[in-house]
Order: sequence, then structure tokens, then C-alpha cells
Amino acid sequence: MRLSFSDWLDRQADRLFILPAVLILLTFSIFPLLISAYLALSRFQLTAGGYQLRFVGWLNFKKLLFGGEQYHFLGVFVPVPWYGWLLLALVILLLARSIAQYIRSGKPTLFGLIGRAVTTAAILALALLLAATIGAGGQLGSLSVTVIYVAVGVTCQLLIGLGLAMLCSQNIRCRGFFRVVFFLPLMVTPVGIAYTFRMLADMTQGPLAGLWRFVGLGDLSWASQAWSARLVVMVGDTWQWTPFIFIVLLAAIEGQSREQVEAASLDGASYWQIFRDVTWPEIAPVASTIVLIRVIEAFKIVDLPNVLTNGGPGIATESLTLHSFINWRALDLGGSAAVAYMLLIVSTVLCASFFNYVMQPMRSRRQ
Amino acid sequence: MSSWRHFIESRRFGELAPIPKAICYALLALWSTIVLFPLYWVFVTSFKEPVDVAYPPKFLPFIDFQPSLHAWRYIFVDLGNDTFRPYANSLIVASVSTLLAVLIGSMAAYALSRIEYKPKLGSVISFILLLAAAIIAVVYWQVDWRLAVVVAVVIFLLLLRALGRHFKRHLGNGDILFWIISQRILPPVVAAIPIYVMFQHVGLLDTHAALIITYTTINLPIVVWLMFDFFAAIPRDLEESAQLDGASRYRIFLGIVLPLAKPGLIAASLLVLILAWNEYLLALFLSTARAQTIPLLVAAQNATRGPQWWYMSVLIIIMIAPVLALTIFLQKYIAKGLLLGAVKG
Amino acid sequence: MTVVLDRISKSFGAMTVLHELSLSVQAGEFMVLLGPSGCGKTTALRMIAGLETVTSGRIEIDGRDVTEVAPKNRDIAMVFQSYALYPHMTVAENIAYPLVIRRTGRSDIDRQVRDVAAQVQLDSYLDRYPRQLSGGQRQRVALARAIIRRPAVFLMDEPLSNLDAKLRGHMRAELKHMQHALGITTIYVTHDQVEAMTLAHRVAVLNKGRPQQIDTPRQIYEDPANLFVAGFIGSPPMNFVDGDLMDGLFQSVGGRLPTSVRSSHGKVVLGFRPEDCRIAAPDEAGSLRGSIYSIELIGDHVLVTCRVGGQSITIKVEKNFSADIGAEIGIAVAAERTYLFEAESGQRLR
Repeated sequence: MRLSFSDWLDRQADRLFILPAVLILLTFSIFPLLISAYLALSRFQLTAGGYQLRFVGWLNFKKLLFGGEQYHFLGVFVPVPWYGWLLLALVILLLARSIAQYIRSGKPTLFGLIGRAVTTAAILALALLLAATIGAGGQLGSLSVTVIYVAVGVTCQLLIGLGLAMLCSQNIRCRGFFRVVFFLPLMVTPVGIAYTFRMLADMTQGPLAGLWRFVGLGDLSWASQAWSARLVVMVGDTWQWTPFIFIVLLAAIEGQSREQVEAASLDGASYWQIFRDVTWPEIAPVASTIVLIRVIEAFKIVDLPNVLTNGGPGIATESLTLHSFINWRALDLGGSAAVAYMLLIVSTVLCASFFNYVMQPMRSRRQ
Repeated sequence: MSSWRHFIESRRFGELAPIPKAICYALLALWSTIVLFPLYWVFVTSFKEPVDVAYPPKFLPFIDFQPSLHAWRYIFVDLGNDTFRPYANSLIVASVSTLLAVLIGSMAAYALSRIEYKPKLGSVISFILLLAAAIIAVVYWQVDWRLAVVVAVVIFLLLLRALGRHFKRHLGNGDILFWIISQRILPPVVAAIPIYVMFQHVGLLDTHAALIITYTTINLPIVVWLMFDFFAAIPRDLEESAQLDGASRYRIFLGIVLPLAKPGLIAASLLVLILAWNEYLLALFLSTARAQTIPLLVAAQNATRGPQWWYMSVLIIIMIAPVLALTIFLQKYIAKGLLLGAVKG
Repeated sequence: MTVVLDRISKSFGAMTVLHELSLSVQAGEFMVLLGPSGCGKTTALRMIAGLETVTSGRIEIDGRDVTEVAPKNRDIAMVFQSYALYPHMTVAENIAYPLVIRRTGRSDIDRQVRDVAAQVQLDSYLDRYPRQLSGGQRQRVALARAIIRRPAVFLMDEPLSNLDAKLRGHMRAELKHMQHALGITTIYVTHDQVEAMTLAHRVAVLNKGRPQQIDTPRQIYEDPANLFVAGFIGSPPMNFVDGDLMDGLFQSVGGRLPTSVRSSHGKVVLGFRPEDCRIAAPDEAGSLRGSIYSIELIGDHVLVTCRVGGQSITIKVEKNFSADIGAEIGIAVAAERTYLFEAESGQRLR
């Protein structure tokens, strides 16, 4: 029996369907990772004839953590202020409680303990870093700044997005109008947003200039103060990404079982009780998934700090990606790759932790 | 006392009492203003003369200031080609890469939802190792990359047989899916330099092809993530009856499954289109003059024009206009698609 | 705990879903709202619950006008078609929820939950989650949650329709017993006439938003008010034959029958139940003439379907009956066992 080409093609269909995607992804994930690793372990120099790559081992990383680039990556260390101690205490308390819960829950495994140890160490290290660089005279490095962008930014986006979704799911008119309007910011390119907010935040010429003068901040140049600059970046980021969370949570709230809400209402529950006991448990898994997606993307933030403040003042608003880019521009390929790898490690550890210790328990409780 | 409660507690089911309702509308109006005002400001600024931009700020055209088209004329006429080229580049790169990503991604998602794959751990590891070896050979010992690829492929195929017999442990569909989706965690900046080096080696720097390939790759995971759930939700009966009638997998996929998954396809396409259209970092690395895309054009204005808000506004408007229009029409699909992905994902 | 519906109507825009339903439910009565889907019965129930607004009319519970009162203040409990259990709470927590909302003391709650769980035989399931329970068990949780509040009125929206046939029969008996034991006024919605007949003290039959007849099951069965009610109740359904009424004599294509209505009426429909007719010789006087279409053995009886002038007639005969398909037979029915309806309006002629 002779196999025609089309027959053969059909039998290979199973493989051919998935092969392009897998091949492309394998190539483009392995390849860059390896090359980047190699670059991170070497030093790039322009020479007379072109360039030279010299293997230098852990030098780039050492510079980031202990050496000349430490101020850039980790920050400048100062004595821990009182609110730093508070933050540390809070973090330690939460971590200890979660570990205790795990051990008490009956079935701790070796893998589980190792995983939690890694997560705890990572979170503790970040908290320590934050506490030790946040005091007066200190300076936050790009690592801390990125973590702040992610933590504060995503939290705000979640709260606002959830609030908007709850408001929009009420029995109000023009719901479609609000839905479309609230979705718009997601469409605007981040570069465009950065310029727009620069225009808006302009203290002297912007539309809100009158407001600033009225409040007495007319002479403040937000771009020259570390925290106000970071605030503006986070405002722009929140403005853009809240719709993402809003649109998904709105669909989730609207999709919930109507009869459960009616039953709770008949039983006498007030609006807030219904939200706590019926709505939130139902949308929590969706919310956690969308938060994870947002966190994954948030770690990569670069357009806003770059265009809004160019990483300034100094390095106050630099995210890790921006830090890496600046190194690249300065032809320090090794340093650039090293920072990129640190970003990869930090975001992978934190995202995996979130997935395992926040999302999975939520999922298994429902399933 | 009871009349006071009348305003706060709702009487009917599903209806808000007057005061909570007013607060609700107020908050929604507030956020609407927050969303629309920046866009309005950009729109209005594009019609301002330089003198109108100085303090005090002017809000309303025809009342506070006289609108003029000078900025628009400058961008479209004076800069003509310099504006159209990046625009055309963005259009081409975004649409082609979206098409490819959606096609390849949905094929993979479909396969994962229907066929059970059991790739052997051994062959995966050996593939990775061989790829690594090939790359090291090319970079370190200056081996010609074509030769390295051929040798690697040959060794891989040879090993495949041997490994198949000894290492029985395999991965499942869930692992493959998780791996594909986790590719999103990889920060583009990690891959930027190597990709730059790779394209330079192959001579594709500053071309449409480079950007298209790159965007397709980074957006594949999203398509797979979204489409997987759509395909999983389509009942198999239709495909099975088509199979009995003798249709091939390709025909079933193109003729039956894809039309049924249209909402998901629209959502995924729109999302990927927007991501590709707005992408900045990799475009910055990979293109300089010929393949420059709009985000780069907008960002570059910073250096030359600084606070020349009127030109910037025009550029921003033409950049967001098409995406805005598309979204307003297809916004419903995105919400549904994202929700489905989030619920199962 | 009486419930009085005073000409309640419901419209959605131009479409009227329920026309002027008036009903008076006595304390402790089991009232069933029966009808095909879309007849407005669920809408009526939801209006009593307060989940739908009333377009016109009044609702009174225990003499109190509750038309504008919020659902939670009406002192009612409802069992939903899908049970509406909270998936993330255990059975005990589900049942306790109404009390938790009312801030009852912890020990009080525990005691009451255990009492009610014992009543519905769920004591050993208190720590399970809804997803771990079968359909019948979930339904009992929904019941328990309704009972624990000791409401003035129970509302039930097709609670048995998601169960399989055998379980449905079992739960029907349980429900009837429980309602009798607790003595709580109950309003029950269903499209299944068997449920209505077996459970109800009285049945309100609805069709296309209009009430057709409100009576005890026996009355509805034996004295239907119109064509719709006559055809909806009874299994197998009542037989109908078109014809004319002339001086008390029914004339149709299939033959002539004497009836108990002494008048002339033009176009009418004659109705009689399968168990009220018998098979006779083809040319017997006072019978209809037709041919056998099919014979079905049910077990303790046989159903014979005949064709009479283009219409189907079903006759219930004893289990040993046998005949040939296509054979000509006569169908005889006593005059007192016939019902006559006006062909146009469906109204019963007496």
C-alpha cells in the first residue's frame, strides 16, 4: 500500500500542530538564556578592530551585590529607621505564621519545606534590603524600586479595579458606557502615557497648575524628588493597568450564580455580607490569577520610568529593566546581562511563590 | 428615624437606595473623568499654538484659545515620510506577527486540548543540551552556524532512539502548557541582547522580519493560554463525526473548530495586536532607521523636541487612534476571553 | 401565616407575564402553582419572595402588606431550583448561615443546626462540602437551611426537577411528610402535574400568565374548568374528540355519543379519560368507531391507542387484552363520565 503525501501529512498532524510553537519557544528561550548567561559572566570591551569578550566568572554579579554597582542595584545602606523596623516585624510575623500553619496542617514534605524556605528567604531578604536603604540619607537601588513598583502598583490596581467592578455591577444605567470608557487606558501605548502624564504633571504649564498653586505646591518640581517621581510613575502605571483587572473582575462578578446571591439576600444578608460570603469566594480564584498575570508583567516595567523621568532623579525611579538598558547603552554588556538575570531570578522566585502559596490553596479550596 | 433609613437601605431587591446610588454614580463619574481627561488634554493640545501651552492652562477650544492645525500639518506634511514610514512599519509588523502568533498558537493550543502528548524527559533534556552545545560551538569556536545546526540535529535524531528505550519517564500536556505559559515570565531584556546578536549574525537587523519573528515568539504564550480553554470547551462530537466522514485534522481545524472558537480568536488577536503595536523595548534594540516603529518615533521626539507638547500630542493621537477604534468595537470579546483564561488558567 | 395575593400582575415593558392572579393561602396549607414553562408561576413565586417587583396588585403575608417590603424582612424562606448552596462553606455552615447573619449565639446555632440536620437526616454530613454530596443530599441541605429560620412561609421553586425519577418519588414523600409535621404554609412551583396532585392541598393551574383554576387536586381532576386544565392534568392525558353538540347528543366523524349537557352548541370538544371508557363492538350504539393503532403493555394494565377520524384516543384496558393492529373497534363511554368544552374558548359546558 503506497502512502500518498497527504496521508503521511495527516498522520504527522499530531506532531505538526504543536511542533512550530514548541520549536520556536524552545529556540527563543534556551538560546537567549544561554547567551545572556555567557554575557553575564564576561566583560565586553571595544577594541581597535571591533570588540572583545573576556570571561570573568562572577565578577559582574559581585559588582552588583558588593562592589562598584552596589549603590545602583541594591542601594545605599543607612541605619534602619523606626518604620523600617515596623515593616520588618510585620514581614517576619506573616512569614512565621504561614510556615507554622503549613507545618501544623499535617503533611509537610521535604519539597514543600524547601520551597517555603526559599520563598521565606527571598521575601525576608527583600524586606531587609528595603528597611536598610529607606532611611534618611539612604538610597533605594533598582531592585527595591522595582519591588515597590510591583507591590504597591499591583495592590492599588487590584483595589481600584475591584472597586470599579463592584460599582459597575450594580443596577445602574449606562453600564456599557462605563465599561468601554474604563477600558480605554489599556489601549494607549505606555510611551504615549508617559508623555501625557508628563504634560499633566507639569507644575507650571499643565492643566492642573492652578490646583498645585492653590495647594501651595506650585514651586515643587516633582521630577527632582525621589519619592514624588516614583509616585508619578506609579500613578501612570495604575492609570494604564487598572482596566485590565477591572474588566476581568467585572465579568467574573457578573457571571456569578444569581441564585446564591438571592438566597443570601433572602436570609437577611446586607450588601457587604453578601460580598464577603458569596461574591468574593467565587471570584477570588479569578482575582488571584489575574493578579499573578499582572505581577508577571509588572516586573518588566520600563517605558514609563524611561520616558517620564529617564530613571531620575539620579537613579531613583530606575526599574531593573531600565537599569539593564542603561548599562547596555553604556556598552557594559556584561553588567546589563547580569542585571537582567537578577531580574529573571527575582521575578521567577516571587511569581512561583505567589502561584504555589496563594493561588493553589485558593484553587484547591474551591475544587 | 425611619425616613432617614429610607434613604440608606434599599427597599427592593437588586436596587440601590438613593444615597448609595448617588455615591455609586459619583465615584464612577470620578474615575471616568480620570480616564478621559488625559486623553482629552492630549487631543486639545494637538490643536494649540506654542503660546497657548504656557501658563495659565487653557481647556476649551474656541473659548480659551483658537485651535490651529499647525502641529498636524507639520507632522503629516512637513515630516511626511518620517511619519508615514514608522506608521507603516508598525502596521505591517503588528498585523503580520499577530497573524502568525494566532495561527501557530491556536494550532498548538488545539493540539494540547485534543491530543495527549507524552514527550520523554530524556529527549527533551538531550535536545536542550545539544542546542546549548551548538550555540557554544558557534560562539566560542566560531563554528559556522549552519554546520552546527546540522550536526546537532543529526546527533539528536540518533540519540532519540537510544534514549527512548532507557528513559521511560515522560511529561504530560499540563507540563507543556505550564512551560509555554511560563515563558511570559522571561523579561524581554534578558533576551534582548542575545536576540540582537543573533539577528546581527544572520544579517536581519533593522528589518521587518526581525521584529515580526520576535513579536510572534513573545506573544505565542498568550495565544496558547487564551485559546486552550476555548478549544477545551468545544465538544468533540462535531470533530469526531467529521473524522468519521473522512476529513483530515487540518480540514477539521480550519473548517469546524476555528469558526466555533471565533470569540476567543478575536480576543486573542486583539490582545496580541495591541501588545505588538505598543511594544517598545525590543523594537528599540532591534531597529534603528528603516524598521523603526511608532513607539520609537514617539520616544525619539523627546530628544529633539523636548517639551514641544503640540507635536507630541499629534503623534500620540495617531498612535492610539486605530487601537482605540478597534477596541471600542471589540471590547466585549476581550473581556470574555480574559475571563475564560483566568477562570481555568 | 396566611398569604393573600390580590390581583398581582407583572409586565416587562410591553410584555405582560402574569395577569391578575388572586390567591388566598390558608395557614399550614400546601399550595402548588402548576403550569407549563413560561406560564408565569415562577414569576409569581419570585414576586411573593420580593425578588421581582409587582407591577400592580398587593401581596399580604399574615395580614401585613409586604408588596414594598424588602425580601429579607418578609419572614419567608426559599428553596431554589439549583439549591443555591455556598460551595466554600460546609453543610453545617450553609445551614447556619441565616442564623449567623442574625447574630445568634454560637452555642445556640450549633444546637439548632444539629436539630434541623437530624430532621432531614443529614447529621453525618455536617462537615462535608456541597461538591461532595449527591443531588438529593444537596436538596436536603437547601431544605434544612430554609427550615432553620422557622419562617412564616416556605417558597419552593421546582426543587425536585434536578433529581432523577426514582429519587424524585422518594423526596416527594419526604417533603409531604415534613410539611405536615412542621405545619408551615408552603407555596410550591412545578410543571410536573404528578407532584402537584400528590403534594398539594390545593393547586393553582396557570397558563400563559393567566390563572385557569384554583381548586383541590381531586376537583381539578374530576371537574376541570376548561380544556387546558382537563388536558394538562392526568396521565395518560384526557382524550379529546372534535364535533358538534345537538340537543345533548355529541356528533362527530367517529360516531355519536349521548352526553349530560342538555343543549345545542355548535362546535365543541368532547373529553373523557382513558380509564372511563371501554372497548366495545364496532357498531354498538352510543359509541365511537375507530381502528387500533398500537397496544402498549404497562404492567398492570394495557394502553390501547386508536385512531378515530384522524384523532388519537387512548383506552386503559385490563392487562390480558390482545388484538390485531388495525382492527376495527368501538369505544364506549358513559354520559356522566364525559366532559364538554366549547371549541373556541375552551370553556367547560355544564
